[in-house]
Amino acid sequence: MNGQDILFRLKRLNEIQDAKEIRQLTAALFPGSHCPLMGAMMAIGGIEDAIMLVLGTDECTYYTKKATIGGFSFHGIDNRCFSVVLNQHDVTFGCKNKLYHAFDELVKEISPKLVFLVTTCVMEVTGDDVDSMAMELNDKYQIPVLPVHTEHFKTENHLPGVRDTISACIPVMKTGLPVQPNRINVIGQRLGSFRETETFHLLTQHGIEIGMMLPGGTSLEAIQTAPAAKVNIVVHELGLPLAMKMQELFGTPYVMFEKYASPERILASYQELAGYLQLDLTTELEAKYNACTEQITAAKAELSGMKYIYGNTALACYEYNAFLVSLGMEPQLIQTNEFPGQDNEFVQAILEKYNPYVTKTANITPLQYVYDELKPNLYFGHEYATRLRAKGIALVHDSNLSSRLGFEVTEAVVTELRRAAAEAKELIARRVS
Amino acid sequence: MSLCRYLPTPSDRMGVLWTLLSVKDAVVLEYGPAGTTHFSVGFFGKLGVEPNQTLFTTHLSEDDIIMGDVTRLEEAIREIDKNYHPKVIFVVSSAVISVIGTDIKGVCTYMKEEVNARLIPVDTGGFKGDYSLGIKEAYSLLTRSFVTKETEVRPNSYNILGASGYSYRMKADLWEMKELLSEAFQSECNAVLGMDSSTEQLERLGAASVNLVLKAEALPAAIYLQETFGTPYIYDIPYGYTGTKQWLEQISAVLSTPVAPALMQKLQLRMMQSAGYKMYAAMYADREHAPNAVLIGDYDQLRGFSRLFAEIGLPVSLKFAAHSLAGLEADDIVKPKTEKEKIDYLKELTYSLVLGDEISLYLCDSSCEKLLTAFPLVHQSQIAEHLPFVGIRGMDYILEAVDRYFSRM
Repeated sequence: MNGQDILFRLKRLNEIQDAKEIRQLTAALFPGSHCPLMGAMMAIGGIEDAIMLVLGTDECTYYTKKATIGGFSFHGIDNRCFSVVLNQHDVTFGCKNKLYHAFDELVKEISPKLVFLVTTCVMEVTGDDVDSMAMELNDKYQIPVLPVHTEHFKTENHLPGVRDTISACIPVMKTGLPVQPNRINVIGQRLGSFRETETFHLLTQHGIEIGMMLPGGTSLEAIQTAPAAKVNIVVHELGLPLAMKMQELFGTPYVMFEKYASPERILASYQELAGYLQLDLTTELEAKYNACTEQITAAKAELSGMKYIYGNTALACYEYNAFLVSLGMEPQLIQTNEFPGQDNEFVQAILEKYNPYVTKTANITPLQYVYDELKPNLYFGHEYATRLRAKGIALVHDSNLSSRLGFEVTEAVVTELRRAAAEAKELIARRVS
Repeated sequence: MSLCRYLPTPSDRMGVLWTLLSVKDAVVLEYGPAGTTHFSVGFFGKLGVEPNQTLFTTHLSEDDIIMGDVTRLEEAIREIDKNYHPKVIFVVSSAVISVIGTDIKGVCTYMKEEVNARLIPVDTGGFKGDYSLGIKEAYSLLTRSFVTKETEVRPNSYNILGASGYSYRMKADLWEMKELLSEAFQSECNAVLGMDSSTEQLERLGAASVNLVLKAEALPAAIYLQETFGTPYIYDIPYGYTGTKQWLEQISAVLSTPVAPALMQKLQLRMMQSAGYKMYAAMYADREHAPNAVLIGDYDQLRGFSRLFAEIGLPVSLKFAAHSLAGLEADDIVKPKTEKEKIDYLKELTYSLVLGDEISLYLCDSSCEKLLTAFPLVHQSQIAEHLPFVGIRGMDYILEAVDRYFSRM
């Protein structure tokens, strides 16, 4: 495999107009991305009363059940994941009868409180009207039955499955609830625990309580009473559709507060949040902000000039890359499935100094050949550290960021960057000697 | 009875995939959504099939489906050929591709001029049946596609046909069988259909002196080889001491070579030593909970284990097949009509010796003695390659479980 050939097929950041224009490193992928069915599974696992009923082929249902037995908050063999397996007859004549039969069994056996009816690729091709089936089942059994569509051919990875599952919860939410001035909801926490974050501790110290945390650990009751919150915090953009819909239907405002790396942006998010909650956080925020900026100033000299390849991390891709560029680092290749547009402030900030290649995620085999061409110092994301080290590249870890939010993200990121940069310099020195 | 609470039976497509992935110098290219491939990697890992630059996916977009655009497939074929130089690329359709009816055979036909690798289309979408059908079709495909007509027979050699990756501890079973055949006849293995064979080995499938068929699914391949090359076949698995002896005697007759006396003496000694089990089985028969075995697994394992327990006088009260029994002689083997029927039955079992998969064992009452002998595994893993169920070592191991069971009586 030739690294130059691989790079030749890619577009650079300034050439991309739409996410569809982001090309894969190769046409043959391994292992490829996860599908939205997996995202739906992750989201439903975090809702303690929810049943996942998958409609799909033997393969899709087998792999989903197997994954839930191993984890994702489903716990064990007898768990909350069930399926209706489609055969040739169902594909030809529709799955309605089989689904209704299965649903009746489900209700008789476990009396579910909430059921997510999750479709898969084949059903979306055959066009079974699962939405209307869900409505009928909802009416017949008086149980919330929420359809989630997880066809992979419309998406690039599993995140839309998380997004669509949490967005599907709107019909369960109650209207007309009195707003609790000290309550917030957390939307979009897909990894880690919000309860371990700086933001959680800061807010709870000021008497704020957490209502719904979707996904990431909630209950049917918390979802039903979510409109009583004063404000929603959106900690990942996949929570944005739900937050916008809640604002439209219940008037609940939201604050975008992703895992930002830039202290200015973190400060702005905190201030916006404090405004809604009528809290005075000035002293704490100033102290944290100043500590971060001092740390950044001290780190710049060590980080400036570092070349890197960006993989998939827990942070917001373009904001994080813009932050890295502001530290004097050079992005050579960015792996992402999203593109916010050329007018996006972070895209512009990156393009002001550099014009990296852009490619899709989850195809690490051909990356080995790209390393030889680009010769980066650092790699961000999931890769084998030993394999990288053999090529003179230091891995920047992000596993400790899942349960962080606020200024602690900047602090952890900069600390890790300094460690990785020192390792990269050592690797260079070893090569020279 | 449409609800599936645990793991559904793997489909024909899954059976095809794990069988094709066993061919060493070939690549499997899935034409379909990437998520299925990604999900499958963990499953194949449990089976001991580690796709290392041997499994790829094209992924699919909505545009590809609507417009019938096969550009991704064409590019992926070219790329794999150029970058990995496999002898063969199996182009396998996904369920979606099967539903929309993309002509992957046509694509392979016109692409073959452009690439060095041989392209073999496999149009199995996963709707025709369960894994048993899939591996049967894959065995036939591998045999008919690769075997070379001009083959010289290697004296005193054998093929093993039907070594499926979905048979728990199959690698250990293969090891035991090869050891036995080496000790008995100093025979050499020519090829194994279904596990760890190269395309070169598959090409010379016709060169063996005898074909040893482990699974009913491999019978069509054995018949094809008999018709094409005149190779005789023996359809049997060496479960139990007596079964092992009979298996060796059948092979001895075909090879016209006697079984090594030392091995026969070893077997005779083991058979004598195990005679006591019959006595215990008879002695405990009048107890409140009469000893009995319950078997859950694939057809040939059920047949083999039944003979094994007959050898020690332990009655088999129930045999549940893990797959469809269509076309098989299976009067006393049951394929539960629904998952619920199977669950209800297993939950009612008490004080039985149960051999089966992890989910079935989980469902049985704790008064049962349980031995894991089949897939699927969920929490457990398959690492050891020296703990077979077949042959002398296999029977030794199963008798340990019988001992534990009798000690509860």
